[in-house]
Amino acid sequence: MSFEPKILGIACNWCTYTGADLAGTTRLQYPQNLRVVRVMCSSRINPSFIFRAFQLGADGVLVGGCHPGDCHYNTGNLYARRRLAVTKKILEFSGMEPGRFRVEWISASEGNKFAEVVTEFTKQIKNLGPQTQFKISQ
Amino acid sequence: MAISFKQIEDKLKTEAKGLLETGKVSLVLAYGKGYDEKHPMPYVARRPSDADNIVFNEFCTHNMARYMVRYPAGTKMAVAVKAADSRAVIQLIQEEKVKREDLVLLGIPAYGMKNPKTGETIDSKTTCGLYNPVLYDVLLGEEVHGQPVVSPYDVLAQYEAMDKEARFAFWKKELDKCIRCYACRKACPMCYCDPCFIDQNKPKWGEKSPESAGNLMYHLTRFHHLAGRCIDCGECSRACPVNIPLYLFHKKVAKDCEDMFGQAAGMSVEDKPVLVNFRVDDSDKILE
Amino acid sequence: MLKKTAINKATELAAALMEKGTLIAPVKEDAGFNFREISDAKQVDLNFHNTIISPKSAFFPQTEDFVRYQTGKSILEATPVELNIKPAFLFGVRPCDVKSFEIMDIHFSGTGLVDPYWQKRREATTVFGYAFDLDKPAEAEEFYQTLGIGAADPEGSDIFMVKKDNDLLMKAITPRGEKLLTGLNIPSEASADDEKYFDDTVAAGRNFKTRSTCVDARATAKKFEDLFHNTDFWEKMSHACLSCGACTFVCPTCYCFDICDETLFSRGTRRRVWDACMFTDFTLEASGHNPRTKVYQRLRQKVCHKYSYHVRKYGVISCVGCGRCTRYCPVNIDIFSIVEEAVKA
Repeated sequence: MSFEPKILGIACNWCTYTGADLAGTTRLQYPQNLRVVRVMCSSRINPSFIFRAFQLGADGVLVGGCHPGDCHYNTGNLYARRRLAVTKKILEFSGMEPGRFRVEWISASEGNKFAEVVTEFTKQIKNLGPQTQFKISQ
Repeated sequence: MAISFKQIEDKLKTEAKGLLETGKVSLVLAYGKGYDEKHPMPYVARRPSDADNIVFNEFCTHNMARYMVRYPAGTKMAVAVKAADSRAVIQLIQEEKVKREDLVLLGIPAYGMKNPKTGETIDSKTTCGLYNPVLYDVLLGEEVHGQPVVSPYDVLAQYEAMDKEARFAFWKKELDKCIRCYACRKACPMCYCDPCFIDQNKPKWGEKSPESAGNLMYHLTRFHHLAGRCIDCGECSRACPVNIPLYLFHKKVAKDCEDMFGQAAGMSVEDKPVLVNFRVDDSDKILE
Repeated sequence: MLKKTAINKATELAAALMEKGTLIAPVKEDAGFNFREISDAKQVDLNFHNTIISPKSAFFPQTEDFVRYQTGKSILEATPVELNIKPAFLFGVRPCDVKSFEIMDIHFSGTGLVDPYWQKRREATTVFGYAFDLDKPAEAEEFYQTLGIGAADPEGSDIFMVKKDNDLLMKAITPRGEKLLTGLNIPSEASADDEKYFDDTVAAGRNFKTRSTCVDARATAKKFEDLFHNTDFWEKMSHACLSCGACTFVCPTCYCFDICDETLFSRGTRRRVWDACMFTDFTLEASGHNPRTKVYQRLRQKVCHKYSYHVRKYGVISCVGCGRCTRYCPVNIDIFSIVEEAVKA
């Protein structure tokens, strides 16, 4: 059986989540490996969410936010950009493959981009194989 | 020129006594006698006569900035600060935990400090490697010049060069040793959260038992919480009873923050901590 | 019975013990020595002063799984974790740590309430005591002598070991030790000379100097009771304390624990984990009230529990003077200095 990765998507309510809706209403095809959690802003994402997701068995984590400058709360994603950059560095130094964590800016009108990013990211995670390093074995 | 610890001790005593006598401060955070000479202890002098109990020698490694947040806001205090400690004070001022006007900083220029547990000399391998306090009101002694200036990040090269599997194995081995005594967070001048995320039950962020999963969650999140704030005093690693080289990870995160945001922690009271700040022109490249 | 084996043949002795059961012995790790379950006899290393974590972990591990359960199902479907106890040998325990088992027995089986986890392990384990090296002075942190524990006291051990030059003298102290020692074919018989050396070492151990002050348990206990409300004293003692758990986790006589449920995706374990009275949330009540919010209150609890409450209740000081808490304290707080200050105060 081929490997079907579990990918956690954390999407901001105002842009990426709406973008995902648009991808849906325009009937765009993208892999079903993504499970999306909606948050009010990308800066609401606690880095622990990401560490915990990997521990609980996510093979990849995709974070989506508004384009910098377009944040519904004006500056939220600018903080998030710095914070998530640090998260990425920490994951990298701890020995996690850097490709398993990705941040993308996807606006409400970019249904196409959402579908493309998810397709591409899923393919990338499939190539990386199952994530075993952080996963808690039961 | 060698550092005269005795001279620093005398000056520390005189300054502390003077400050307490004039009532400029209500307490002085410095070092006092421990159970033997090699093990001095953090000490709080409250009366002028307490100043005689102050000691300073090469084993006085503790970061006294750790104790500042324990006292009610507005307490006037004097703090004995070495190079890294002064950076911790600056960082705490940036974070508005203490006010500059409440503090009298007694700067101590020093090198050749020794770890009281192992006797090893402490240098840029485990700390920021600076010799002179960055911020002080009174300098006890003369500024150190002419000592080799080594980048505190040199020690990282060997770990950055590892492939990711080896690095993961290294951290797994190290973090699995953790017994969750939390000496690292308690010794850290920047860890003042109450309660700490790992002590919370709702939500429960990580396991409390000292096993791989909970240890990884605790330490990675702690590294993250100290990103751009760690001033590289190395106290966490010296406090650790099982010798986990936490300083390596903190150094790495500090280095990345410096590369990405162009600002080191605790260098200027005017700065804002990098993660509660942003620039519109931050590059998206940092996310790659 | 006294037997003898060369120290460099300790590996063979370890291998012989491993055939009979689980061997727990000091192992050198990068931070120092620790008692570990031995998988390869070569790991055993007697070249140690004392371990970081005390040997209490052999009977009272830091995490102990009690029950496995699935949420959303009947509680009856929870399955207790079977306590699989095999004969074990705890090898190379210093006399002060051996004494700590006796103190811990009070809490885990001596008061009528029996903790089967502790008791069964304790019953299945043969303790090999190991005298301190009397040629080397005691470390500055240690004060077992002050509490009346000799550096070579065989009491409490099943078999007691003394180092003589390059040999290890092993004497059976209890019938269980006698039986085991007879059955071991590795050690050779010792000479009368060795007998004398063994007895001399035990006697010399009683006069081995650690710290000079003598402690009268009852008087100290009373003194601490009187000092309870002396906030100034306790604040002075605790101004350096960081309130971390390093001292309690390395202590051989600290026995506090927390029971926690760890659940992942509806499957979980109820387990016991060491807790420490120095943690802020140790006394946190469900209402949100916390009777010990200050550092001095927590340090007072720790010291008074060991030196006062414990004496009043059970007649012995709950401290064996191994010096671990002092050695691993990040800020060099010395529990015995606090006792000395209290006596003076």
